[in-house]
Amino acid sequence: MSRPRVAASPAPLFGGYQPLGGSFDEYFDSRGEPRPAVAAIVSGLDALGHEEFRRRHKLADTTFLRSGVTFSVYTDRGGTERIFPFDPIPRVVARPQWETVESGLVQRIRALNCFLADIYGEQRILAEDVVPRALVEGSAAYRPEMRGIRPPHGVYIHIGGIDLIRDADGTFTVLEDNVRTPSGVSYVLENRMMMKKVFPRIFGQAHVQGVEMYPTKLREAMAAVSPSPEGSRSVVLTPGPFNSAYFEHSFLARRMGCELVQGSDLFVENERVYAKTTLGPERVDVIYRRIDDDFLDPEAFRKDSMLGVPGLVRAYAAGNVALVNAIGNGVADDKGIYPYVPDMIRFYLSEEPMLAQVRTYVCARDEDRRYVLDHIGDLVIKPVNEAGGYGLLIGPKASRSERSEFKRRVAERPRNYIAQPLIELSTCPTWTKQGIAPRRVDLRPFVVTGSSSWVLPGGLTRVALVEGSYVVNSSQGGGAKDTWVADPESRS
Amino acid sequence: MISRVADSCFWTTRYLERVDTMARLLGVNAAFQLDAAGPEAGQWRPLVIVAGAEEDFVERLGADVIEDGDRVQEFLTWDREQPVSIYSSLRAARENARTIREVMSLEMWEQLNDLWLWINDRSTRKLYDRDADAFYDHLSKQAMLFHGIAYSTMLHEDPFVFMKLGRSVERVGQTARILDVKHHSLGDTPDDRESTDDAAAWLAILRSCSAFEPFFKRAANSLTGPNVLKFLLFEDSFPRSVAHNLARTGGLFSRLFVEDPHGRERRTWKVLQRFRSELSEMRIEDVLERGIHEVLTWVVETQAELAGAIHDDYLDPPIEALRRRVQVGISQSQQQA
Repeated sequence: MSRPRVAASPAPLFGGYQPLGGSFDEYFDSRGEPRPAVAAIVSGLDALGHEEFRRRHKLADTTFLRSGVTFSVYTDRGGTERIFPFDPIPRVVARPQWETVESGLVQRIRALNCFLADIYGEQRILAEDVVPRALVEGSAAYRPEMRGIRPPHGVYIHIGGIDLIRDADGTFTVLEDNVRTPSGVSYVLENRMMMKKVFPRIFGQAHVQGVEMYPTKLREAMAAVSPSPEGSRSVVLTPGPFNSAYFEHSFLARRMGCELVQGSDLFVENERVYAKTTLGPERVDVIYRRIDDDFLDPEAFRKDSMLGVPGLVRAYAAGNVALVNAIGNGVADDKGIYPYVPDMIRFYLSEEPMLAQVRTYVCARDEDRRYVLDHIGDLVIKPVNEAGGYGLLIGPKASRSERSEFKRRVAERPRNYIAQPLIELSTCPTWTKQGIAPRRVDLRPFVVTGSSSWVLPGGLTRVALVEGSYVVNSSQGGGAKDTWVADPESRS
Repeated sequence: MISRVADSCFWTTRYLERVDTMARLLGVNAAFQLDAAGPEAGQWRPLVIVAGAEEDFVERLGADVIEDGDRVQEFLTWDREQPVSIYSSLRAARENARTIREVMSLEMWEQLNDLWLWINDRSTRKLYDRDADAFYDHLSKQAMLFHGIAYSTMLHEDPFVFMKLGRSVERVGQTARILDVKHHSLGDTPDDRESTDDAAAWLAILRSCSAFEPFFKRAANSLTGPNVLKFLLFEDSFPRSVAHNLARTGGLFSRLFVEDPHGRERRTWKVLQRFRSELSEMRIEDVLERGIHEVLTWVVETQAELAGAIHDDYLDPPIEALRRRVQVGISQSQQQA
């Protein structure tokens, strides 16, 4: 790649950058020219040079550690907190393009919400066989106990995180839906604060849409679904400080100005939820719970749960408390249901899906399974009930014994697996020990729904820091970047 | 506010106060050891005793080294298993703070987290080995700085009140314990027969409470046991005296009562009122007559009773009591309807 440059004293940061072949690069087109949305950012970073860039990167890491922007790891008792690896080269999405993504996200969340209301209500979509009944009722996340219980104001998915990737020609494509308790938004806000601190000038010139209103939007959404319209009390329910996402729970409670509680801080009496306070019992109306369904109420679900609130489901069924998100949402983001989401959009909304999604083989279908078993070397095999990038097989990279092991598993329990072609995730320039290099990224935008839906501009860009890796999860060597929805044309 | 959160506020500052007190005590005692004469005057064991750590020390390190200043300092500063060590107290303060990040200001958290990162830094251990005074001094000052930052950066509401309560309640016990060091080192000497060793011990106690200059600002104060006792027990305007901290505790509860009209009916208030009135009726002559150690033991025990009442009334109320209150509330509102 050779680009003409103005003579400058430090060696330009992107000087030796080589995009990978076959993938869409977020910064440079196939001729090696910076895309219009990033041109100013590239020259701004180039002008800093390596040494100055490294200095600012270090400043960011130190600041994160000092302010405790960390996630917990369970491995040892001593140092249980680590900072989330942060890469200071932003991922940039041009505003017009973002607007179409935004509409597609809202459409998808609406359809998924309709789906949940339907399967926990009339079950029209099952009656008309648009989605196979066995698939829904066989899903581990389906909660038959929730049939006939309508959550306050009919909202199931108050917070949705839809993971997007970009295929080889740059089209945004849905990889998976997260409508249980999607996490990561605190890093979006913290990363943004950090970018403003370490690259104030470059940030200022890029005309980036703000993300700071997220807590306010969430708080409004929670107030909108409260069963008691006046003086409603909202809390964030956390499993506690040993949870890996505790920082985020605390962060959101702080930014929303509501209380952070643990299960033992709440109790149910007369099918109402109360908090134990220094003044005695106080009613709670809305709970943003960061505890999985299974652990939410030992009376209703896992009896051994120490994290939940006994009787919470009774209070919820009586309509006395709103849970954000609703119970039983997992059936909608089940990887086995994912292939049917476009049909859901047509069924409930009579619209065509605006966002593309990945071609998916459902191993439970005979025809699909045969294809998967014959082409396992070309496919990514995913278990339907795992999160965090665990337990999957990347066919093209797997050894022969790994492939035959997965063939056996798929043949044995086809319902548990889906398969997708390997998508060449887009790459974004990322700081590595060897200088700036292309690394694969995805994007988790957040959709907040109360009386209407709102999409956080951008979202969490996760980056696979390991060379050649496709797995962006923080538990497996992933890091994060700030995502800029930028408007290079606008001049303030 | 949520009871558990109040509990963590209360304990964050209690633990931090222990860091401050222990740092001061160890720093002063090392200097005091240089002045005092005679190996027969035990100077380190009393510190271990009043910290409540004698049994653990003897079991793990042996009774024969309990007068070894380096070993005692090492133990009370760094020991990770001994809960009263500075290291453990600081860890506990930070762990409590970590569960209440949402009620603290960022600056407060950074102050505490910085101190925690500092004590874990290798260069800090080197500082301790080279210049323990500077090490203890830094700890004390940084612990105090936390309160200053809290005062200037967080809302002066319930969480703030519970943090201040933690500090005041802790100081009541700590001041009594520090005074008791004298009992365990030189015994309770009648004041007309005090030696220079006694005077040096009282001086060390004043220094341990940062009370050296304040004490001598009271013109009548000559350095005798009764005067030191009187000052540290009864002096209203000295911030580490027992009386001052009980008065402050009362004031803090009065602030809570603005939102809690039934607060005065709780056991906490009754225990506190009794504690204050018994102390205010007490004269220094009574203390000497009853025995200094006995009176100090009474202070420590009543402080524990007060802390227990606060725990039951505010920090972790029994669930059955809460359920009853819900039922009473419902039946009252039904009667009104």
